Amino acid sequence: MSQVQDPPGRWRRRTVPSRTEAPLVALVGPPNSGKTTLFNRLTGLRQKVANYPGVTVEKHLGRARLPGGEAVDVLDLPGVNGFSARSLDERVTRDALEGRIPGLRSPDALVLIVDSTRLETQLMLIEPVLSYDLPTLLVLNMADELDARRGDVRDDVLAKELGVTVVRTDARTGRGVDAVRAFLVEQSQRRASAAQRAEGEYVAPPRIQLPVIGTFTDRRNRIRAVNQRASYTAPGPSFRSERLDSILLHRVGGPLVFLAVILLVFQSIFTWATPMMDGVEALVAGSGEWLAVRLPDTWWRALLIEGVWGGVGSVVVFLPQILVLFLFLGILEDSGYLARAAVIADRLMMRVGLQGRAFLPLLSGYACAVPAILAARTVENERDRLATIFVTPFMTCSARLPVYALLIAAFIPDRPLLGPVLGLRAATLLGLYAIGLIAAIGTAFLLKRTLLRGTPTPFLMELPPYRIPGLRSIGLRLLDRSRIFLRRAGRIILAVAIVLWILTQVPRTAGGPPHIDDSALGRIGQVIEPAIAPLGFDWRIGVGLVSSLAAREVIVGTLGTIYGVEDASEGSFELQDRLRRDLDLGSAIGLLVFFAFALQCMSTVAVVRRETGGWKWPALQFSYMLGLAWVGAFVANWLI
Amino acid sequence: MRTILNKRLLLTNHPDPSLCRLADCPMRETVELVHIELPDDQAECLLERGVVPGCSMCATRRSPAGDPIVLIDGMVLAMRREMAGCLLVRRRLADAI
Repeated sequence: MSQVQDPPGRWRRRTVPSRTEAPLVALVGPPNSGKTTLFNRLTGLRQKVANYPGVTVEKHLGRARLPGGEAVDVLDLPGVNGFSARSLDERVTRDALEGRIPGLRSPDALVLIVDSTRLETQLMLIEPVLSYDLPTLLVLNMADELDARRGDVRDDVLAKELGVTVVRTDARTGRGVDAVRAFLVEQSQRRASAAQRAEGEYVAPPRIQLPVIGTFTDRRNRIRAVNQRASYTAPGPSFRSERLDSILLHRVGGPLVFLAVILLVFQSIFTWATPMMDGVEALVAGSGEWLAVRLPDTWWRALLIEGVWGGVGSVVVFLPQILVLFLFLGILEDSGYLARAAVIADRLMMRVGLQGRAFLPLLSGYACAVPAILAARTVENERDRLATIFVTPFMTCSARLPVYALLIAAFIPDRPLLGPVLGLRAATLLGLYAIGLIAAIGTAFLLKRTLLRGTPTPFLMELPPYRIPGLRSIGLRLLDRSRIFLRRAGRIILAVAIVLWILTQVPRTAGGPPHIDDSALGRIGQVIEPAIAPLGFDWRIGVGLVSSLAAREVIVGTLGTIYGVEDASEGSFELQDRLRRDLDLGSAIGLLVFFAFALQCMSTVAVVRRETGGWKWPALQFSYMLGLAWVGAFVANWLI
Repeated sequence: MRTILNKRLLLTNHPDPSLCRLADCPMRETVELVHIELPDDQAECLLERGVVPGCSMCATRRSPAGDPIVLIDGMVLAMRREMAGCLLVRRRLADAI
């Protein structure tokens, strides 16, 4: 175990350059068989792992860490059930195996990873994989679970029957991973010895010639025969999963638990995160004051305190809330509950015209739309995929959370609504998530009846056994999230804060900074103002909205900077107090609604362009969402 | 499409008491898949997972919306009842799971 543990501190994803001397080994397998966990074990990279089929949506490349220091590159591919290339995922996997992806060489060896508790069905992939005629290692993963549920198989017979090396692993605990490493080392040595010999002299190791892929039924019968000869005993049913399913998929209990889980998540975003946020806030404010006292009174002190501390600091405060959200999402994914939630939600999705598979992208949209749009690749039907991509940005991503949290804390009183279960603030947040979801559903409904009409496709969802989420996996994910969030704060928000601060300082009047209304920023804001005045926003919010086109949470930093400059003389640094002076309840709700609908995220626009292969869809999506946001904010402002 | 019609005819012309649709099968009864009444492109997602005629399956429970959750060789598969209605199965009352 100890030698398998990944050393800390090496977590940046590396793209390994195509160096001809390092062999490339591709990991293939059905969804949710543990490829990514094994990949992380082998390379020490930290990929997102979840107990939900179809999480790896792009190929990932990493250099394996081997005991002898041999150089072997490992490619993690999306999980597939076959190579028929019906979904984009299957196409990516097939193209990667055939070396048809530009910039990626074709693999020198394959590792097929299957879940040993479902060996009968998972081995359906062995024949297509063997047909590539590359050195292949068969990894029987989740061997611990097979043992625990009293299943068994004779690895040696399996190896002989299939003509491949067979190893058992438990990628989660790291058991058996050394055997996989040994296979990688072997590939590196094979490459070396082949290089020593003359060109063309190299002969591939003998392998058993399997029949060409026939029908699925033939394939299945052969697999069954092989398994019988290898005396495969299927594991008994997982009683834990059975028992949990009887509650979580119960006719009445299931949806109730589903609702309760969602309520718990939203309530805890406020209750659990508040003490941590207060801590971070005190830290930011304290360090700002500490610096202000010690630094000489120059222009760069003003930039540092008003621009950087005011701008970046006001965003960093929201880190705890984002971490709480991701903690819950992580637990739900890793435990296997998410697949059940997809089943519960499927009927609704069907009525909308989307298939249940769209549930994963839509749900990941709660974290961030960019990976969610990539996850839409698992959606097989092209029209369904486009519809899914189109509506995904309506799902409330974590970048909206700082904006929501700020405005809710400033305008919504902290009153209990349903006793201690649900407060008014959590209910407002829940409402914002709900209008995002409703907009997504309504838009999908419209699209599927107009631009993207098509027949419904079948929905099949494998339900993985329930597993206790690993602390390591969730902890790493939270760490990753913090890093991404802080990096954004450190780059985009810092840059925007500095530019905005400079704009507040010019043109200089009588040797000093102008009044903010006369500054360059103020004038820009006043140009925008007519467009947003009907929504009840003043020019400061307008500047915030424009700056938030880069990324939504930037508006918090922008307002922090603007108010920081304005209030430098007054010494007040409370963003919430200032907001209450500039906005009334109606326009605050309007602003919340605006953020719920508008597509203010350049990364999303870029990824939609890439995934749809043109500007048509992102342009349509951007203007549709902006229009909806403006109308929604106008209505909210007018109603309240 | 032609296969669907043919098999429907087959089912009505030769009534076999042991044949039924998975959607109509009692819960927790192990049955054998006889035929998939779906066009090839829709059947493929079942076939490549190893759900082929001849394999045994057992609907273990229903989802809250009433869709069956089926156990097939250790794999737990949730499908819509429309699909379960297209799976022709043979009941083997003597077998237990």
